[in-house]
Amino acid sequence: MAVSVLSNWAGEAPVAVFVAIGEGMRDRLERLFNDARFVRAASPRHAAIFLIAGRMRLEDREDLRRLHDQMPHPRVTLLWNAEVGEALGDAEVFTGSTLEVDIEASEAGRSDDAVRDRLEKLWQELASGERSSEPDLLHDEPPNSWEGIGPHGQGGQGMMGGTPYGRPMAMTSDDLRDGLALDLYTARFGPFLPMFPPGLLLEMTLQGDVIQSVKVVRPPLSQAGGNDVPAALLRLARLLDVLGLPVLGQRARLAAVGGATSVPLEKLSRAIHWAGATLAIPRGLGAVEGYGDTRTRFANLVSVANGFSPAMWPGLTRSAHLSSILPGLEWSEAMLVLNSFDDETLSTLAAIVEGADEDRDGHDHDSGHMHHDHGGPHDHDRHQGHGGRGSHLGNDYHGRHGGHA
Amino acid sequence: MMELIAALLLLLFLSVGFAGAALVDGMLPAFLAGQSRPSWRRPIADAARLLQTQRIRTEAPDALLWFLAPVLYLALAIIGLAVIPFGPGLVTIPSEVGIVVWGSCEALTIVAVFMFGWSANAPLPLIGAYRYVAIALPAMLLSMFVLIGAALPAESLGFTEIVEAQRRVWNVVRQPAGLILFLMLGLAISLRGPFDYADPADLAGGTTADVSGPMVLAWKIARLTMLVSVSAVTATAFLGGYLGPLLPGFVWLLLKTALILVVLVGAGNFFARMPPARMMSVIWTMLLPLSFLMLLAVGVELLLWG
Repeated sequence: MAVSVLSNWAGEAPVAVFVAIGEGMRDRLERLFNDARFVRAASPRHAAIFLIAGRMRLEDREDLRRLHDQMPHPRVTLLWNAEVGEALGDAEVFTGSTLEVDIEASEAGRSDDAVRDRLEKLWQELASGERSSEPDLLHDEPPNSWEGIGPHGQGGQGMMGGTPYGRPMAMTSDDLRDGLALDLYTARFGPFLPMFPPGLLLEMTLQGDVIQSVKVVRPPLSQAGGNDVPAALLRLARLLDVLGLPVLGQRARLAAVGGATSVPLEKLSRAIHWAGATLAIPRGLGAVEGYGDTRTRFANLVSVANGFSPAMWPGLTRSAHLSSILPGLEWSEAMLVLNSFDDETLSTLAAIVEGADEDRDGHDHDSGHMHHDHGGPHDHDRHQGHGGRGSHLGNDYHGRHGGHA
Repeated sequence: MMELIAALLLLLFLSVGFAGAALVDGMLPAFLAGQSRPSWRRPIADAARLLQTQRIRTEAPDALLWFLAPVLYLALAIIGLAVIPFGPGLVTIPSEVGIVVWGSCEALTIVAVFMFGWSANAPLPLIGAYRYVAIALPAMLLSMFVLIGAALPAESLGFTEIVEAQRRVWNVVRQPAGLILFLMLGLAISLRGPFDYADPADLAGGTTADVSGPMVLAWKIARLTMLVSVSAVTATAFLGGYLGPLLPGFVWLLLKTALILVVLVGAGNFFARMPPARMMSVIWTMLLPLSFLMLLAVGVELLLWG
């Protein structure tokens, strides 16, 4: 009785969806969440439905499987135009046209509604217990063997060093910024972190929350974002979310769709002004030659949203790359910088650097604390969970004990 | 006897305050985001969903601290509220040093949040935890100077005396900037908006990023309770607490608390969050000196005209 009352209430809750966004689907998905019946979960831990939308790369499949297993029960997966083979087992499938340019706008709207209805139906079935929760796809075991020497996995000096379960122990090292030496921590972040551009997988070394080094492992998946007003509004919304202004972000997303509920743009830009959003971005942050800094890029987005034409940037210098822009920044500054570029610029900045192939095979020793990887490039995918323990995407919790419902 | 009545009132205050906080926190942001009629049922439905979700265990977590963190946070919120008077002599824990008790609850909140982020044994929650310590520590220092400014006219560290000293003029008139600084502390201690360095979107939920189901619910409950407590403390220290005509003191305190609570939830959605290093320098180089100056101003005023 009590349980069924609980289930009835739970069925009324907004549907918590974690999304993995594939090629060309980002803007469309962001508009999908303009509906109060749905919330976009920040982490798979907070979601009940795993929505995989759009084409994925072959190497992303393993991450998708891992993300699936990170979700708590009850859970269900919906594939929306996703080509992932058998990677997700027998997940629910929704098909419809992916490419907005190919079809009438109204048809895209109809198909979005159909996806929403499907998501809601899935949640109703899940909440009422009609549909059983999906089992794990991966085995609950460590991704690497135990490699430590001491009882706590240490393999180096004293209590430190070593790579228990293939993950490096954090070790102190010099700091880039203020000389306060903390433990270096190397992990992979991406490819489906909600505040990252979809598909971007970075291997970063952190000290506290300061980024020491960055290597692009996988570039972002291409998106169809242009430089028109709706696209600018969606970019603006992403920055507002990172700035801690989800309410204004939501308003920008509503304005991107237009329609009765959207607010006039002047009101939105006034609210952004009074929120101190521009002042919150440090001057000179993420400056790229010929491309301004994050603050000017943000101001430019606000003015585009207000109907001004976008500034013309002279183009990137060849040397500009994420691996040189991000080091030295704090985590939240780096998130602002990552979200301030348009898709085209970002894919140039996040290109895989020639000569880095060696690194991808796991033979990189520049930091001295890298994981040990005994396999070739294919083996590597299986290993990539190490270090990325909380990265919501490439990370494994194979060591967990299953938890309890 | 008075303490027993006060304890019952405390329970009533907590339940009414918590229900109100859950509604305001659930509906106000939705309304501001453009929904014309957000549903009041949503917070309950959300809670029901979280209760039916599996509790996840990460790899090698610090299970004990993970469990204790929300408990400690909630306990601190309740203890902090227990030194607040609901009427003359009507206080659950009569204390001549109420400000010190509240101050220690503030300080220990940093520990609770750190424990929560630490325990998951994952990078994003840990970054959130570290960051929160860096920001919350100076924010709480600040609040103590502000509170001493409120205590000076009363010549006492007890909340009852502070309220009684406001019979002539509320502290908000004496130090309006103090109220604003204390509201900032309110945002920091309940992890909101511009001071939410523990659970923000840029860390995919920060300390909650690897927490699921009932644990998320427990954390939300603790946060909302702390929001109620800090609102009540603000109302007591600056808006005259239980003072007011006609209605009983308890009701006046509840009304003033509700007002502060709405302001805090609104402010949490209105202002942008700076990167932590920038916020640190703002607090240490601008806000802390400002709070010294205000303390000085109140002292000089009392010397000359007190």
